[in-house]
Amino acid sequence: MTNSNPKNRQERLDRVFNPQTVVVVGSKKIDEYNWLKNMSTFTGKLYSVQIDPNEIPGIEELGITNFKSLKEVPEPIDFVLCAVPRPVTPRIVQDCIDVGVGGVVLYTSGFAETATEDGIRLQEAITKMAREADLMLVGPNCMGIYNPKVGVRFGQDQVAGVSGHVSFISQSGSQGSGFGLECQAQGLNVCKVVSFGNGVVLDSPDYLEYFAQDPECQVITMYVEGTRDGRRFFKTLRDVAQRKPVLVWKGGQTPDSARATRSHTASLAVSSTIWDALIRQTGAIPVHGLEETVDMAKALLFTKPFTGARLGLLAVAGGHSVEIADAFSMQGLNVPALTEASYEKLASFFSVIGGSFRNPLEGGGNMASEEKVIDILRILEEDATIDAIVVEMGMFGRRNLNVLERRVKTLVEFKQITTKPLWSCWSGGVTRVDPEAQQKAALELQEGGVPVFGSITRAARAMGKFVRYSRWLQEQ
Amino acid sequence: MSYNEIFQHARASGRTLLTEVEAKAVLEEIGVPVTKTRLARSKEEAVRLAGELGYPVVLKIASADVVHKSDIGGVKLGLHSAEAVGAAYDEILANVKQAQPSARVDGVSVQNQARPGTEVVLGMSKDPQFGPVLMFGLGGILVEVLKDVAFRIVPLTKRDAAQMVREIKAYPVLEGYRGMEPAHIPSLEDTLLKLSEFAEQAPEVREMDLNPVLAYKDGLLAVDARIVLEDAG
Repeated sequence: MTNSNPKNRQERLDRVFNPQTVVVVGSKKIDEYNWLKNMSTFTGKLYSVQIDPNEIPGIEELGITNFKSLKEVPEPIDFVLCAVPRPVTPRIVQDCIDVGVGGVVLYTSGFAETATEDGIRLQEAITKMAREADLMLVGPNCMGIYNPKVGVRFGQDQVAGVSGHVSFISQSGSQGSGFGLECQAQGLNVCKVVSFGNGVVLDSPDYLEYFAQDPECQVITMYVEGTRDGRRFFKTLRDVAQRKPVLVWKGGQTPDSARATRSHTASLAVSSTIWDALIRQTGAIPVHGLEETVDMAKALLFTKPFTGARLGLLAVAGGHSVEIADAFSMQGLNVPALTEASYEKLASFFSVIGGSFRNPLEGGGNMASEEKVIDILRILEEDATIDAIVVEMGMFGRRNLNVLERRVKTLVEFKQITTKPLWSCWSGGVTRVDPEAQQKAALELQEGGVPVFGSITRAARAMGKFVRYSRWLQEQ
Repeated sequence: MSYNEIFQHARASGRTLLTEVEAKAVLEEIGVPVTKTRLARSKEEAVRLAGELGYPVVLKIASADVVHKSDIGGVKLGLHSAEAVGAAYDEILANVKQAQPSARVDGVSVQNQARPGTEVVLGMSKDPQFGPVLMFGLGGILVEVLKDVAFRIVPLTKRDAAQMVREIKAYPVLEGYRGMEPAHIPSLEDTLLKLSEFAEQAPEVREMDLNPVLAYKDGLLAVDARIVLEDAG
C-alpha cells in the first residue's frame, strides 16, 4: 500500500490503467522488440527509452521515437513499462520518481522470488524508493496491464479495440495471459487484466479497491498465491465482495503446490482451514482453474441472481438429455415435471418419435424446425414450475453449420422475450463443433446475453455455484 | 485489576502464561461467565475460600509449570465439606511434589464445582498472515480426535458467529440430542463475538484456550482457561 489516501489512489490508478502516453524502457532486438510490439495497438502516444546505440536503429525502424532517458520525453508520461536488466531498475525507478510519471510496471524479474541475497536487497531498495515517493509501482516480476479498450497489452495475441466488463487481478503473468486469451476464445470481452507479480508496493487489495469503483468492471476475478498483508486482504475482500462479485482462484492449496508458490511469488503457505474460513466470511466465490474462473465470470455477467432451482432442460439427443438432467440434478438443482397445461401444448405439435418432452426435453427431430424450438421455449417460459432454462446446443460438423447459425439466432431472439434466466452449453469434448464456428457462435450468443458453456457439466457446476451465491446475496 | 494490569503483573513476574485465576479474571472482565475461582496459599485459606464460595468446590494445583493438572493428581472434584477441602489441599501438594518436584507452586485454586453441561471449546490463536483466528468445537475427544472444529478470522460478524456454531458436525448435540440438555446457542455466539472483540483490542494476547466451557440451556460457564501473551516487546 502506498501513502496516498484511497480516493487519490483510485484516480492515480485510473491514470495508469487508462494512459494517454506510454513509454517502454529497455525494448531489445533479442526478443524482436516484444514490448514495443505489445504496445503497437495503443491508441495514445508511444515512445521508447533506450541508451544502447545498437538497439536504437531497430526501434526507430518501427517508427517509434526513442529518447536516451525518461527525462528527455517532452510530455507528461502516464505509464512506463520497464524491461531493463535487474541492476538498472533502481535508476529507472528513480527517473520515474523525478519525472513524476503516472505509474510504472516493472517487468524485470530476479528479486525476492529467487530467494537470493542480491534479489531480496534490490527488491527492498526499490520498494523503499517507491513507497517514500508514493510511486504507483506494479510488480516487479510481472506482465503488468492489459486494457483492450486503449490497446495497452502484454502479449501480441491479445485482442485490442474491444471492451468488456470482467477484470482479472493476477499474481501470475501466465495466468493473466491465459485468462485474457481464454475469454477471447470463448467470445467474452475483457475489461482489464493486471499481473502484479511480487506486489511490493501495489498489492492485490489495491487492485480490488480499484476495480470495485471502476464503473466499467462488473465482475472481479483474481488469481492469488499469497498476500503481504493478510489482514488487509481479508478486510478489503470482505468489503469489495459486498459491492461486486469477486471470484478468487487460490494457487498453492496443498503442501506440494505451496512449495511452488514460494519460488514463484515468494508467497507463504496458507492453511486450508484458514482459507476456507476467509472465503465463508468474505462472500467471495471460490473457483479453481481457468475454466471455472471464466465459466463463473460468464454466469455472473449474463445473469441476474436467481435462487429458484427448478430447471427446464432441452437437449438435442437422448443421451445428452439424460446427461444434462444428471449434471444439473447432481448440483442440487431440480428438474421437475412440467404442468399438465404445458404437456397438452407440447403434445399438440411435438413428435415423440426419437424425442421426449417430459423434462428433460429431448428435442430429437423437432429441432430441425426453429419454429418448433421457439414454441418449446415459449412453453417453458410460460410454465410456472420452471425458474430457468438451459439449452444444449448439439453437435455441429462443417455440414450443418447453417443449423448452428439458425439456433444461435433463435436463442438470442428468445432471450429478448423471456423473463427467465437462459443458459446454453456445448455438448462437451473438443471434436464436436468446428472451432471457428464455435467461437463465432459464442460471441453472438453472449452479445445477445446468453452465456454458453464448454460442456454440460461445466454449465451445471457454474449454475450450482451461481445459485448458492445468489442465495448468499439474498441473505445479505 | 484490569486485564492490562494483569498482563503487566504477569510480565513483571517474567511470565507470558497467565495463571488460571488471572485468565478467568480477564474473561470475567470482558463478560464471559466463568466459575468463581480464588487462589489459596495455605490450607486454612482454602477452607475459608471454599466456605465463602459455597460447596461443592473443586481444588486445582496453581502452577505455571504443571500443564496437565489432572494427570498427576493436581485436581480434586466434588468437595462438599471443610474436612474434604483440607485433605484435598494436602493431597494435591503431595502429588505434585512427587510427580514434578521442581514445579514452582503458587498454591491451590479453589472454585465452585459447576453442574454438568455439554462441554465445548473456544479458542484463539494467531495465523502468521491473517492474524487472530477463533476456533469453536465440542469438547473432549471430538475436538482432539475428529478435528470437528470451525475457524473464523477476527473480526467476526454476528453472522460469522452464528455460522461457526452451526458448522460443526456435532451441532445436533448442541440442539439437545436424545433428551440431552440443549445448549443456549445465543450465549455461544455472544461469547465468540466477545472473544473476537477482545482479540482486536488486546493484540498482546497470543493465544486463548477456554477448555472446557460448559454449555447449558440458559447460558454457559468457562470452567478452565489458558491465556498466553506475546513475548515481551
